[in-house]
This record gives sequence, C-alpha cells and structure tokens, in this order.
Amino acid sequence: MTSVRVRNLWKRFGQQVAVAGIDLDLPSGKFIGLVGPNGAGKTTTLSMVTGLLRPDQGSVEVVGHDVWRDPVEVKARIGVLPEGLRLFERLSGRELLVYSGRLRGLPGPEVDKRATQLLDVLDLAGAQHKLVVDYSTGMRKKIGLAAALLHNPEVLFLDEPFEGVDPVSAQIIRGVLERYTASGATVVFSSHVMELVESLCDWVAVLAAGRIRAHGTLEEVRGSAPSLQQAFLELVGAQGRDTGSDLDWLGGGATR
Amino acid sequence: MSEPTSPPGLVPTVVRLKLSLLRNGLRQSGGRRAAYVASAVVTLLFAALQLLGLIALRGHDHAVSLVVLLAAVLGLGWAVMPLFFPSGDETLDPTRLVMLPLRPRPLVRALLAASLVGIGPLFTLLMLVGSVVSVAHGAAAWTVGVLAVALGLLVCVALARAVAAANIRLLTSRKGRDLAVLSGLVIAIGAQVVNFGAQRLGTSGLGQLDPAADVLRWLPPASAIGAVDSVSEGAYGTAAAQIAVSAGALVLLVRVWTRSLTRLMISPDGSTLQAAEPATRERRSSAGLGRLLPGGRTGTVMERGLRYIWRDPKTKAAWVTSLAIGLIVPVFNALQGTGSIYFACFAAGMLGIQMYNQFGQDTSAFWMVAMTISSRRDAYVELRARALALLLITLPYATLVTVLTTAMLGDWSKLPEALGLSLALLGAMLATGAWTSARFPYSIPQEGYKNVAPGQAGLAWIAIFGGMVAAALLCAPVIAVTIWLHVTEGGDSWTWLLLPGGAVYGAAITLLGLRLAAPRTATRLPEILTAVSKG
Repeated sequence: MTSVRVRNLWKRFGQQVAVAGIDLDLPSGKFIGLVGPNGAGKTTTLSMVTGLLRPDQGSVEVVGHDVWRDPVEVKARIGVLPEGLRLFERLSGRELLVYSGRLRGLPGPEVDKRATQLLDVLDLAGAQHKLVVDYSTGMRKKIGLAAALLHNPEVLFLDEPFEGVDPVSAQIIRGVLERYTASGATVVFSSHVMELVESLCDWVAVLAAGRIRAHGTLEEVRGSAPSLQQAFLELVGAQGRDTGSDLDWLGGGATR
Repeated sequence: MSEPTSPPGLVPTVVRLKLSLLRNGLRQSGGRRAAYVASAVVTLLFAALQLLGLIALRGHDHAVSLVVLLAAVLGLGWAVMPLFFPSGDETLDPTRLVMLPLRPRPLVRALLAASLVGIGPLFTLLMLVGSVVSVAHGAAAWTVGVLAVALGLLVCVALARAVAAANIRLLTSRKGRDLAVLSGLVIAIGAQVVNFGAQRLGTSGLGQLDPAADVLRWLPPASAIGAVDSVSEGAYGTAAAQIAVSAGALVLLVRVWTRSLTRLMISPDGSTLQAAEPATRERRSSAGLGRLLPGGRTGTVMERGLRYIWRDPKTKAAWVTSLAIGLIVPVFNALQGTGSIYFACFAAGMLGIQMYNQFGQDTSAFWMVAMTISSRRDAYVELRARALALLLITLPYATLVTVLTTAMLGDWSKLPEALGLSLALLGAMLATGAWTSARFPYSIPQEGYKNVAPGQAGLAWIAIFGGMVAAALLCAPVIAVTIWLHVTEGGDSWTWLLLPGGAVYGAAITLLGLRLAAPRTATRLPEILTAVSKG
C-alpha cells in the first residue's frame, strides 16, 4: 500500500532549482525519514506534498487522492507540522488546539477532550494557558504536533520536528509518534540528524540537491556501510573530505 | 587612554564598529539605504530650519524660555527613545559585548563616544548650538556656551544609555517588544499634543512659556543652556550652579549606566528569564466569549479574530489608530465649527480598512487556515466570519460616532442619511477589503515598525488605495440618491429612506464582495501563504 505517490515533482525559485524531478512512493503504516543536507529541498518537497506550495510541475497523491485536484479528501486526512512558519502565537496552547480542531469541523466537546489528553501526554498541561509566543522551541514543536494530531490524520508530515528540541521533549515526541505509527498510521518526517533517523525510521529516502539519491527500507539504504551516516555521506558525495591538514596550529598546549 | 585595564584604542574601535554596522545595515538593501538617506536629509533639513529660527530669535525677550524648553524636550526625547526603539543601536547593546574581556569603565567611555555618532546626536548638537546662539551675549557667555553644548549633548546621550541599560530586561522580553510596537501610537498622539500647543503659542505668544521655563532652567540638560543665559545677564553665581547641576547629572547618569551595565554582564537577560518563568497565566474566560458566538467555523474564526485585536500588538495598534482617528476627525471638526455630519462616515471608512489584508494579518500562521480550507464554501465562511468579527465592533462604533457628531451639530434631521451613508460605505469597504485580501495579500513584519515587508510596498499601495477608491465608487449609487433627494423639491422629507436603503445596500455589497473573494481565496491558498510569509 502506498500512502504518498509523487511523480516528476519540480520547483524553481528564480534561477535556483530547489526540487528537480522527484518520483517517490512512500509505503503506508511506516515511520518514514526524509533525510538530506541543508538546502537539499526537504522543506520545499514537504510543502508541495502537503499543498502549502504549488509545484511548477508534477503530481502528488496522498492516500489515493490528488492534492491539488481533490483538496477536500486530502486535507482532512493529513496532519502537518511545517518548519519556519508561525503558529497563531497570541493564543494560549489550549486555545490554539481548540481553534485548530474546530476549524477542522470537530465538535466542541470532542475537541476539548482530545486537547486535554494531548496536552497531558505532551507534558504541556502546566503551560496550556500561557501564550504560545512565550513558549520555548521544544514547547512550540510539541503544541504544533498536538495541533497536527488532533483530527487523527492518516498521514502525518513533520518538517524537522526535533530541530532545537531538548532531549526530554524529543523523547516525549518520539513516544507519541511511535504509538501513532504502531496503530497503522504513516509518519513522514524530515531531518538531517542521521542517528535519529536510524533509530526511528523503518523506511528512508535520501534527498540531495533536489533529487532522490536513494530510497527503501533502512537496511536497503544503509547497504554495506556500518551506519546510515556513512551511507549518507557516500550517497551525497561528501566522503573523504579531509579537514585536518590545514589546521596544524589548532590544538591544546601550543602557543597562541 | 590612561587606565591600565583598557586595551589601547577601545574608543576608536567601538566607534569604528558602530560605523561599520551602520554601513553594513545600509548595504543590505537599496530600500533601507534610501529610507536612511531620506530620513537623514529630512532630519538635517528640519534641524537647519530650526537652527535658522533659533538664530533669528536672538534678542527676543522670551527667547530663553523657548530654548530652555527646547533643551528639556530634547532631554525627554532622549530618555523616552530607548523605550520605543530598543534595537536602534546594536553597538550599544551590552549583551552582544558580554563575551569580550572588557572592564565596565573603559567600555562605558567607548560606548558613550560611539553614541555621539549618528543623526540623532547631530540633530541635538545643532539644536543646542542654535539655542546658545540665540541667548549668548558677551565673550563669557560664548565660552560658557561651548561648555553648555558639550555638556547638554553628553547628558542627553548618557540619559538615553542609562535608561536603555536600566530597562534592557524589559526591552528584551516579549512585553517590552509589544510595547515598542505601540510606540507609533504614542508618537502620533504626542504629535497632536505638540501641534495643539504650537497653535496656542502662535495665538498668544511665547510669554506663556515663562513659568515653565523658570523651573526647567534648573533641570539638566536645560540647565546648561540656562547657564548661558544667566552669564549673559551677569548672574555668574546662578550660572555656575546651573552648570554644576548639569555636570552632576552627567556624572550620576554615567554611574547609573555603569552599574546597570555591570549587572547586565553577569546576569541572564529577559529572554532567558521568560522561558524559565513558571506558567502563571490566568484562566481566560474563553468559554464566555465562545458561548456567545455561533458554532462551527464562523464562531471559531470570530473568536480568534477578536482575541487578536486585543492580544496582538500590531493588530491592536492598527485598531486603536482606526478607532481614534475615526472619532477624532468628525468630532474635532464639529467642535471647531467646521464640521459636517458627513464627516461621520469617516469612522466607517477607517474601521473598514481593518478588513484589508486579512491574511497578511495572520502572518505565516495562515498555513493553519490554509490547511483547513478545501472548498469555496470553507473560504466563504472564513471570510464571512472575519467580516462579522469586524462588524461586531465597527457597527456600534460607527453608529455611535454618527450619533455623537449629529448631537454636536444639532442636526438630527440628517441623522438617518448620514447613518445610511456610513453603513453603505462600511459595506463597500468590507467588500473591497475581502476581495483585495484574496487578490493582493502582503506580509506584515511582526518585529519593528514596518507594516509592509521590503518589496511589497507597491502591492500594499494597490490594495489599500485602489480598494478605497473602489469602495468610494461602489458607494456612488447611495451618494447619488442622497444628492438627488436634496436637490429634488420635496425630496428632503424622504431622506429617512436612506437609512434602510444604505443598510441594505451595504449588506448586499458585502455579501457580493465575499462571494467574489471566496473562490479566489480557495484557489490561491499557496500563493497567499507565500505572499504573507515574506520578510
């Protein structure tokens, strides 16, 4: 079963080609990692897949429905946590969840119930009446995740969900996501931290310079390399770059 | 430098740092450079004119009252400025220098020197020179004048730095930044007060200032200028005391500044404290507001809109400005006897502006809205709810202003038509506002004072002015009927019809505008998001 099907996806910003013809089939019910160095096109790809950015060319289907032709079916079935976009930060954490849930058409009491549970699980209950503008990075990611989960989507898209998040919050987010995928839902998240992807994902796509360099299960992508990090460096062609030779003055004990 | 702890040339280094920061800031964009050059030219032109005026005032009986007051206002300006423009001067933000091995005293000296570079100090310098020129008589007075200018300028700059350093914890916190956004409002109202005062002075002469000046001439930095006048009049003892007051103030300010700088260097700033602060927010009466509003998307959107008017500083500032101007223009005109009841429509027009650029007001958080709009119907309900939230305030307010203006003019027979015109105009503004929100969205930067992101000024211009012209045109039928009824014989007795007529017309045109805007919004969601996420 395929949850997301991407065909010949392109996006240019002026002279720069951000996404250069991506074809991808993401299996459903998996924890999927989209990895790549900074500027590889991860955010652009995720924005186009979730309907927040119009592609120059190509098609995207989520759970069998075209994102651009059939937004009614798609938007109800996906949850999104974008990177670099704001939240409605002058609402408190709870107000933000209630706002988001009711915009999606959930009945009021149900929204309240789910919001309370999500706030508890994500350890935000103590800060639920604080304005989001006063939240720390980790708290923002958690409240964004809660808003993305509130309507129980089939596919969850998370852009850099662990960026700038403290270890405790990261562990909480991880726990929630693991429970969510265990029930058969799909999580697609982007990251450039290989250790994290290796420990969380069972399916990986490697993106570099706007193209897919490799995709498949973790074992397939890793191949014979000792770790995903090594495999990744080989794939993006960053292997063997020697940084040591020119900095011979650098080190303890030497004169200034 | 004599101090052994200070590295050689700290003063030139910091001054150079300030100059490079200034230069690099200007290099970032042509628009910024143009704005800087334009503001510099305007400021200097203004300063030059003031200087000429002050020189022309030389020999005037009440000249000293004016210049003392001027120095006091300058001092006040310098004291208030850092509260409103906290990020105005990066070189002087001590939190950026905290990692450098610098002792407070040489640092203060260097920062003070760097503070003297810029348009503001130059403007102050010109003002002070002009003040001295207008009151100094005799060689002794000129000598004291030179000292007074230097002392006055230093007191002003030190005052600004001391206030900034003392308040840096407030200024780096969210509340402080919110305050800064509201500063435009304070400046606008302050300008009104100054304008009012200047008019009073113009009619009744400078002599009115004398009592205030008698006090101010003892307060730094005005006392330095007061000393020049005292010397001119031969009161050397008074002059010495006045100079001493200013000098003492300078020493005190520098000491206060040094102390808060030292404290700042060794304690966390506001942004850290904010995050660590325990959650003590009160429970909002959110249920109360929500219960009164309709259910579904309509109520949800209205609730957030109303909350934002109160909580978001940019939105709040825009609303307060609209409410104030919408009231001030018709009421003040009525007070001065030049008013017309039709000025009351101004309130409707000003408040209708709030419908413009609805999605830009959301900032990039618009993605949350975009994710939930999947049909024209969703977009229509979203826009309608925003218009309703607006009407909840504008409708009673515009009515109140119209009734108030009518009461002041005593022209009750014209109330129905003025009200009808107001409603028609409000409807037209909402309609064009909804349409331009979908067609010409632009980003409103949340930090700082700009209301348009660089490169989108043209877009904002088209949206607001094009929309307002269109709204005026849309009102033309109602205006035409009003005129027709007035010129037709016996038509005056039917002008009451304009009230229901205007209301129905306004409502109809609003609905039409929403209907036209909805499909555009629904199909252009990614484009709108891109536009409002800029900057």
